[in-house]
Amino acid sequence: MKELFLKLIVLFLFILDLNALEIEKVVLDLNLSAGSKAAVQWKRVFKSEKKMKRYKIYSLSDEVKMKLEDYLINHAIDSDQPTVAGGF
Amino acid sequence: MNRYIFAMALSVLSLNAATDSRDVLIDKLLKEVASLKKSVDELKKNQIVVQKRQDESDHYIDEVYDFAEKTETRTLEDKLKLGVAFKTSLDNFTKKYADGHSVDSNNVWSSKLMLNVKADISKDMKLYSRLSMFKYWGSSIEQLYTEYDNMQGRVPSNSSLYVERAYLDWFLNRDGYIPIAVTIGRQPSADGPSHQFKDNTVRKATYSALLYDGAADGLVFTFDISKAISNKHSFLRVGYAKGFEYTETSNDISNAFVGPSDNNLKDTNVYGLFFDTTIPNIRHSLVQLSYSQINDIVANQLDINTTKNVNIGDISMYGAMVEVSDFHNSNIDMFVHYGYIQTHPNNQYYSTYGGLLNSNNDNSSKNGEAIWLGARYGFGNRQKYKIGLEYNYGSKNWVSLTQGSYDIYNKLATRGDAYEAYFMYEINRYANIRLGYIDINYDYTKSGWFVGESKSMNNVDTPENKLKELQSIYLKMSVNY
Repeated sequence: MKELFLKLIVLFLFILDLNALEIEKVVLDLNLSAGSKAAVQWKRVFKSEKKMKRYKIYSLSDEVKMKLEDYLINHAIDSDQPTVAGGF
Repeated sequence: MNRYIFAMALSVLSLNAATDSRDVLIDKLLKEVASLKKSVDELKKNQIVVQKRQDESDHYIDEVYDFAEKTETRTLEDKLKLGVAFKTSLDNFTKKYADGHSVDSNNVWSSKLMLNVKADISKDMKLYSRLSMFKYWGSSIEQLYTEYDNMQGRVPSNSSLYVERAYLDWFLNRDGYIPIAVTIGRQPSADGPSHQFKDNTVRKATYSALLYDGAADGLVFTFDISKAISNKHSFLRVGYAKGFEYTETSNDISNAFVGPSDNNLKDTNVYGLFFDTTIPNIRHSLVQLSYSQINDIVANQLDINTTKNVNIGDISMYGAMVEVSDFHNSNIDMFVHYGYIQTHPNNQYYSTYGGLLNSNNDNSSKNGEAIWLGARYGFGNRQKYKIGLEYNYGSKNWVSLTQGSYDIYNKLATRGDAYEAYFMYEINRYANIRLGYIDINYDYTKSGWFVGESKSMNNVDTPENKLKELQSIYLKMSVNY
C-alpha cells in the first residue's frame, strides 16, 4: 500500500513535470525585464502587434503569450512585492 | 612635291579630326555640368526638406524632453510611495462550550484598513510603515487586548489608527560576497508565511506565522549568504526584539515619559536565529529553520503593579517550514510548518493564575508542539478561482507568539485541531472575495496563554465558561492596491 502511494506521488510529479512551462526561461531568452515597466505598460505591449514584434513576443503561441503577460504583469515595477526584514 | 602635298593633306585632315573630337568632349562636359547642376538643385531642395524635418523633430524632442522632465520632477517630488489594503469580513460564529451548551453570534462584521507607506531614502536605505485601523462594525468599545503591544492594529478595536509596522532597511556591503541588511524598528513580523495564500498576495512578513504573528519592535541583521552556499535566496537572520519594556510615569522626575526601571520586573527580551533558503530546482520555494529564545516573560504586560506582576520564566522555541508556490506550474501552492517549544519556569507565580504554563507551586518544564499544513489550487481562466484547505494541530502545552494573529480566532495557537476550507474568486488582480468555513476544536484550555496550567476540556472546573469548539462561516473581501 505504502509502495503504491509513493508510486502514485512519483507519477503525479512526473505528469506535472511534463506540463511544466518554465516561463522564467522564456523571459530570460527574450531578454525581458518585468521590473522595467509598470503593469499597465506591459498590458499596452500585449495589445499592440508592433510592440509585441519589437519584443519578439508576437511569434509565440497564444498560451505562452498569455502566461508571459501574466508573469510580466505580476512582476511589474508597480506590482505587489514580497515584504521581509532586509528584503534584498 | 607629291610627297609634300600628301603630308599637308594629312595634317589638315588630322586637325579637322581633333577639332571634331574636342567639340564632342565639350558637349559631353556641358551635359554633365547640366546634370550635376540639376542634382545640386535637387539636393538643395532635399536639404531644405530635411532641414524642415529636422527642425520639426528637434521641436518634438524638446517637447518630449520637457514632458519627461516634468514627469521626472513630479516623481522625484513624491518622496513617499503609498499603498492601501482593505478587508471586510462577515463572520457567523457558533461557540460550543465544555458543558454542551452553545451560543451563536451571527452577522458579525469587521473592517480593516491598512495604509502602507514606503520611502526610498537612498539606494541603500528604505523606510517602510503600515498604519492600521481594525474594528467591528458599530462597536464603540475598545477591545480588551487592544493595548497589548503586539496586538495593536492587529485585533479589532475602535477606529484608531495604529502603527503596525515602522522600520528602516539599511543595506550594507550590497555588492559584497555576503551583503548585509539591518532592519530597525517595528518589524514586518505579522501576516507571515503562509497566510499570503488566503490573502491572494505575495509573502507579507519574515517569519513562519505558526511561531510569530503580531507587531514587534526589534533589530534584525540579515546576511545574504546565497553566494556563500551557492543557493539562491538564502539568508541568515539574527534578531533581537523587546517583548516587554517596563516604564511608568512618575511625579518624582521632571520628564514624565521616562520611567524608572524596577528590579522586580525585568524586561522581556527575544533573541532569534533564522535561516531562509530555497529548495534547489524547485521554483518559488521557501524553507525556513528557526530558533528563538524568549527570556523573562512577563505575566501580564498591562499590569504595572510590580509587587503583584512577575516574570514567570523563559521559553525556547524551534521552528521549521517548507512552502512551495505554483508547484511545477500545477497552480497548486502548499506548505507545512512545525513548531516546538520548551519552557524554563522560574518558580514565580502571578497571583492565583499560576506560572509559566503551570499551576501555582508547579515549577516543572513543559514541552509543546504544533503543526500547520495546507494547500491551495487555482483553476479557471487565469486561475481566477481558488480553493484552499488548511489544518493545524497544537498539543496541550503549545504556545507561541501569535497573539496579534492574522485572524480573529488566533487559530494557530489552538491546543487541539483546527480545520479551514475556503473558496476564493479573484475579482481583479487587486481584489478578491472569499467564502470559508473554520472549525476549531479545543482539546485543552488556555490556548494562546503563557500563564497557568492547560487542562483537558474533559476535566475543567467551570465547563460552562470553557470554549470547546468554535465554528464560523465567513465571507471576506480583500483589496490590496
